[in-house]
Amino acid sequence: MAISKKPPFLNSDKIFLLKTNEMSLIQKIHNQLVGKEITCTALVQEKLNLLRENKYNSVNVVLDELALEAAAKVDAKINNGEEIGLLEGIPFGIKDVYMVQGTYTSASSDLLKNYKSAYTATAIQKLLDAGAIPMVKENCDSFGHGSSSENTVFGSVKNAINTSLVAGGSSGGSAVNVAAEYTVFSIGGDTGGSIRQPAGYNKIYGLKPTYGRVSRFGLMAYASSTDTVGPLAKSIEDIAIVMNVISGKDSKDQTSIASEKIETSVLTSKPNGVRVGYFKNFIENDAIDPVIKTQFLATLEKIKEAGYSVEALDFFDADTLVSTYYTLAMAETASNLSRLDGTNYGERVEGKNLKETYMVTRSENFTEETQRRIVGGNQVLSQGFSDAIYLKGQQLRKEIEAAFESDFDKVDIVLSPVTPSSVPKIGEVLNNPHAMYLSDAYTVGFSLGQLPTLTCPFGTETGIQVTGAKNKEQTILQFANFLNQVQ
Amino acid sequence: MSKIMPVDLLSSIKGATSSKAVDQLFEVIKNAEIKQDASNKNTYNAVSIEDLRADVVENSSEITKQIIKENFPNQKNGYLVVSKVIEG
Repeated sequence: MAISKKPPFLNSDKIFLLKTNEMSLIQKIHNQLVGKEITCTALVQEKLNLLRENKYNSVNVVLDELALEAAAKVDAKINNGEEIGLLEGIPFGIKDVYMVQGTYTSASSDLLKNYKSAYTATAIQKLLDAGAIPMVKENCDSFGHGSSSENTVFGSVKNAINTSLVAGGSSGGSAVNVAAEYTVFSIGGDTGGSIRQPAGYNKIYGLKPTYGRVSRFGLMAYASSTDTVGPLAKSIEDIAIVMNVISGKDSKDQTSIASEKIETSVLTSKPNGVRVGYFKNFIENDAIDPVIKTQFLATLEKIKEAGYSVEALDFFDADTLVSTYYTLAMAETASNLSRLDGTNYGERVEGKNLKETYMVTRSENFTEETQRRIVGGNQVLSQGFSDAIYLKGQQLRKEIEAAFESDFDKVDIVLSPVTPSSVPKIGEVLNNPHAMYLSDAYTVGFSLGQLPTLTCPFGTETGIQVTGAKNKEQTILQFANFLNQVQ
Repeated sequence: MSKIMPVDLLSSIKGATSSKAVDQLFEVIKNAEIKQDASNKNTYNAVSIEDLRADVVENSSEITKQIIKENFPNQKNGYLVVSKVIEG
C-alpha cells in the first residue's frame, strides 16, 4: 500500500484551514444575503423550482407559500438595515414525518396522505424561530420503515450521484435534496441508521445525535427508545450550526436532555490525545464487501500515521445487533402505530362494524413492509413470545449498552464503515427484507446505545461513521474534521 | 380454543401473516446467550419525579382545533361520524 505524505498540519496543534468544498454553505449564503448579492426571495424561488422539477422523487410536498412568505420577511429586514441571524433566510428540508402546522404530513403512507399537521414539531419550530425557510416535506420510507426509501407511496427515491441506485433510507429524500443542493440542510430522523446510511449513500454528512439531545415532540414515532432528530448537510460546520439551534430540553418530550453548545471554532483545530477504536468483528468477517474493508483499513492506517493510537475492540456480532434492534423496534412500532386506525384521522375504509373498519383500513393503507413490522412487533409482545424474545431482546440491549460503556473507557472515538456493502440498485433490496435488515448491521448498535454518530462522506465508498460517548458531539465533529483533512 | 390470538387480529390487519424474514431475526434472539451480570445493570433512561412536567391541561390554539376537525375522516350534518361500536 502506498503511504501518503503526511500533511504538515498533522505535526502541529495549529488551527488548519477547511478544504474549500467543506466551507459552510450556511455561512456563505448568509454573507451573500447580508452583502445584498442575492435576495432571499430569489434564492428561495430558485430552490423551489429545482425541487418541483426534480428527477429523484425526493419531494412529497413543496411548501411554496410558506417559504416565499418567510423569504419576503427576511428581505424586508435586510432592506430595512436590520441585522439577520445566521440561519435567517437559509432554505431547509423536512423529512415527511415531522409536524409543521397546516402542512400535509404523510409519513409517505396512503393512510396519512391527506393528513394535515395540527401543530409544529419542537425542532422545526426552533428553526422557524431562527428564521430558516421551510421548503419541502421530503420523501422517505413509510413511517421510517426501510433502508432504501423504496417503501414509499410517492415512488422510490433515486440516488443523487447515480439515479439507478437507491437513495438509502429512511431519510432518503432529505439526503438527496442536500446532495443536490435543493436544500442547504435537511432535518432527518434516525432510529436505526436512517440519517447515517442515506448520508453515506449520497456522500454528505449526517448526524444521529445522542438520544434526547433534540426533542422528539412532533416527530411521528417509529421506535420511541431509539428515535432521534438530526441534520444532514454538506459540511461539518453546518451540522454544528443546526445542532446548536435544535438541541435542548423540552417539556413536551420527557426524554429530552440539556446539552452544551458545540463550539464551532474548536472544530477546525487538531484533536489532541484522542484514542481511536474500531470493532474488529465488523471488519474481520465474510459479510463485508472486500472493497469497503480495504478502504476502511486504509483510513485506519492514515490515522495511525498521524500519530493516533488505534485499538481493535471486541463487540457483538452483526446478527445479534440486527436481531436485537429489529425485535425491539418492531415491538415499539406495533405499539406506536396501533393508534392509526382511521377513527380520528387518516384514510378510513368503512367496514361492517368497528373491528372490521380497523382491519380493512390498516390492511389497505399500510405498505407491505410496515405491515410486516407491525405483525412482527405484535408477535413478540404477545403471550408465549414476550419472555423468549422481547424480554430477552431487552436484556441483550442492556449488555450492548454495558459493552459501549466499557469501550468508551478505553477509547474516545469508535470508527466503523456505514454499511457492509456498496449502494444497491433500485429494486434489489425491497423484495428481500432479511437482506435489508442485515444491511443495517453497522448502524443499529449505536442506536441501541443511544450514542452520537456522524456519517462522513469519505473513508469507504459508503462513508465512515464516527461515534463518541453520550453527549460527545463536539468531539466527534472535531475528529471528523481531522479525518477529512487526511483523506 | 387456542390461547394464542392470530396475528391478523393481534395487529388489526386483515389477512396479515407472520414473515419468514422476521422469524429469522427472532431465532437469533431465542438462541442468544445472556450474561447475567450485564443484564442486571440499570442503564435505562429515567426521569426524576422533580423533573416531570406539571400535570396541567394546556388549551390548544383555535387553529389546532380547526385542523383536528378538518382531519376527521367522516362528518355529517356538523357531527363527526364514527363506526358503529355497539351492534344491535
